[in-house]
Amino acid sequence: MSSVSLRKISKRYDSEGPEIVKRLSLDVHDGEFMVFVGPSGCGKSTMLRMIAGLEDITDGDLMIDGVRANDIQPSQRGVAMVFQSYALYPHMTVGENMGFALKLAGKPKEEVKAAVGRAAEILQISHLLDRRPKALSGGQRQRVAIGRSIVRKPKVFLFDEPLSNLDAALRVQMRIELAKLHAELKTTMIYVTHDQVEAMTLGDRIAVFNGGKVEQVGRPLDLYSRPVNQFVGAFLGSPQMNFIECRAGVLRGDALDLHFGDVVRSVPLAGMAAPSNGDPLQLGVRPEDLLVVNEGLGLPATVDLVEHLGDATIVYATDVVSRQSLTLKAADYPAEVKAGARIGLMPRIGSFHLFAADGRSLTRQ
Amino acid sequence: MEAPMSTSRSGAAAPAKSRRRLQPWEWAPYVFISPFFILFLCFGLFPLLFSVWLSFHSWDAATGLGGMVWVGIENYEFVLGDEWFHKSLFNTFWLAVASGLPQHLVAIPLAFFAHTYLAKYRNTVVGIYFLPFITSSVAIALVFNSLFSRDFGIVNLALTSIGNFEVAGIHPLAWLFPTSNIDWGQPQYTKPMIAFVVFWRYVGWNTVLYLSALQTIPNDLYEAATIDGASRRQQFWYITLPLLKPMMFLAVTMTIIGNLQLFEEPFIITGGTGGLDQAGKTAAMHMYNTAFVDSDFGTASAVAWVLFMLIALLTVVNNKVFSQKD
Repeated sequence: MSSVSLRKISKRYDSEGPEIVKRLSLDVHDGEFMVFVGPSGCGKSTMLRMIAGLEDITDGDLMIDGVRANDIQPSQRGVAMVFQSYALYPHMTVGENMGFALKLAGKPKEEVKAAVGRAAEILQISHLLDRRPKALSGGQRQRVAIGRSIVRKPKVFLFDEPLSNLDAALRVQMRIELAKLHAELKTTMIYVTHDQVEAMTLGDRIAVFNGGKVEQVGRPLDLYSRPVNQFVGAFLGSPQMNFIECRAGVLRGDALDLHFGDVVRSVPLAGMAAPSNGDPLQLGVRPEDLLVVNEGLGLPATVDLVEHLGDATIVYATDVVSRQSLTLKAADYPAEVKAGARIGLMPRIGSFHLFAADGRSLTRQ
Repeated sequence: MEAPMSTSRSGAAAPAKSRRRLQPWEWAPYVFISPFFILFLCFGLFPLLFSVWLSFHSWDAATGLGGMVWVGIENYEFVLGDEWFHKSLFNTFWLAVASGLPQHLVAIPLAFFAHTYLAKYRNTVVGIYFLPFITSSVAIALVFNSLFSRDFGIVNLALTSIGNFEVAGIHPLAWLFPTSNIDWGQPQYTKPMIAFVVFWRYVGWNTVLYLSALQTIPNDLYEAATIDGASRRQQFWYITLPLLKPMMFLAVTMTIIGNLQLFEEPFIITGGTGGLDQAGKTAAMHMYNTAFVDSDFGTASAVAWVLFMLIALLTVVNNKVFSQKD
């Protein structure tokens, strides 16, 4: 078990090229399940590979267990990595795959066998030890890849999008198993994904990456309910948060007027930083927090499509003023809400966000 | 139920078919693909089968087909007991091993080096190694003949310069290097010289084969091995080599087949004679000489088929060696 500290880490592939990771600082605590999430090309995988030692660190310090690890050999860092492609050695059996690191370390055969046996038991793959990777299903390969990491008893587990090659059902199952595994091993784990559902469900904490920087770090629900900026708000949650362009109006007591074109609506600020009169803003409301009201109240909108998913209903609507598409989600809607209907929309009190023109949230200041 | 129905159907269709004339679009495709079959039948299959037939005959081509005399397995008996054939076979195997083995021993590490350490200049380097493969063998033989010329060759010049290197009246390197020109035409030098030319010519080809196989090995495996603690050497040993096995099978098979049929290089380098003491005469050259110099086509055909069986046997052995596990 161990902590990982990233201190002002930068990465460039060549001295002229762009910075892929920009002076990134982050602490991963002992035994924590930390998820790096972000869109493609945000630097999250590069960061993980730098921790693993597969990429050089251009600048900054990587501390594993309080020791600077920048120049330590990958195999000596005490990290184990699970690759997206599993990277199983195709010519070796499952047992040989799992025991390869110990074999290279010169451990006696009995010890290797015992370690492989224990890991195989944890992952319930004992019956597969003599098979080759090509004879395994996707889920089994994934287990072997994890088993190979467990055998090494690493201080830190690194996962690079390990579930993205699995089908949807298996992905859910493996996600649960990974969570259980973490509960059992209590080892520090760093998990890279672009799937926000994986991030929300697995992480003790999530670091949202964007453009080589961490936008926000925190517990999943904190990030979900209090995003520091528009990017984090938009990235977490499915369907995505709705953003409605507006302009700040007069502040009356705790109520702020918002101008949606000619339509003016007043919202309670409830501790939010008040914007100056005339500031361009984005009103951010999650689909489940956008309520249907009578046409005359709230924002006027037209229903485009209603999707009944069984457990929930999703309504796609267009804001009449700005012609923006909006998404609503609830257990059910009244029968009047159907394609073509004119409705009014209103955010749930206390469950909306205001973002300034630069994307910063006014909610958290 | 089904049988009478199908009978009646085919019974009705058959007379209609026989009356109908074959339409152009029905026979035209066969005309279009016929050149291959005609050429293959004339110049591939027929000579092949004819040589089998011929190997059981005594025949001087000048007497025409009527001059073929059935001799049974006499030709085979003769070939198997013929000392010159034995010698050419020995030469062939000697050359096959001496030129074939280093090809792979050099090509695999070379391909690994080019793949791992050369990024920008990989294609240039491999291209240079590949160049001899696409060079005319006549040009190669000419170049090597002049390099190894006794009186004017650069090889002799270099070796004797070192041998005659003089410090204070003594020649410190004379014990290792020659002091006078070597006659590379002597029998003891013929085979190494041919082997070197063959090695030099095909090492690039094998490098390209191995390089293409290396490029299909996912980089993830090397990264996983790095984290598992494998050094570069261990990665080569535990990851690269096992995964190159299928390509090694193909490349070694091709080398065996190619080297046992070795003809061009020894033929040109020894001026078609096989050199002094026939030291450079391969089985294929022996076959050629038997047919076109001695005009003994029956025996030559028997040589060809004995050679074929040997190659087939070695390919089977090779297959067994490389497919032990998978």
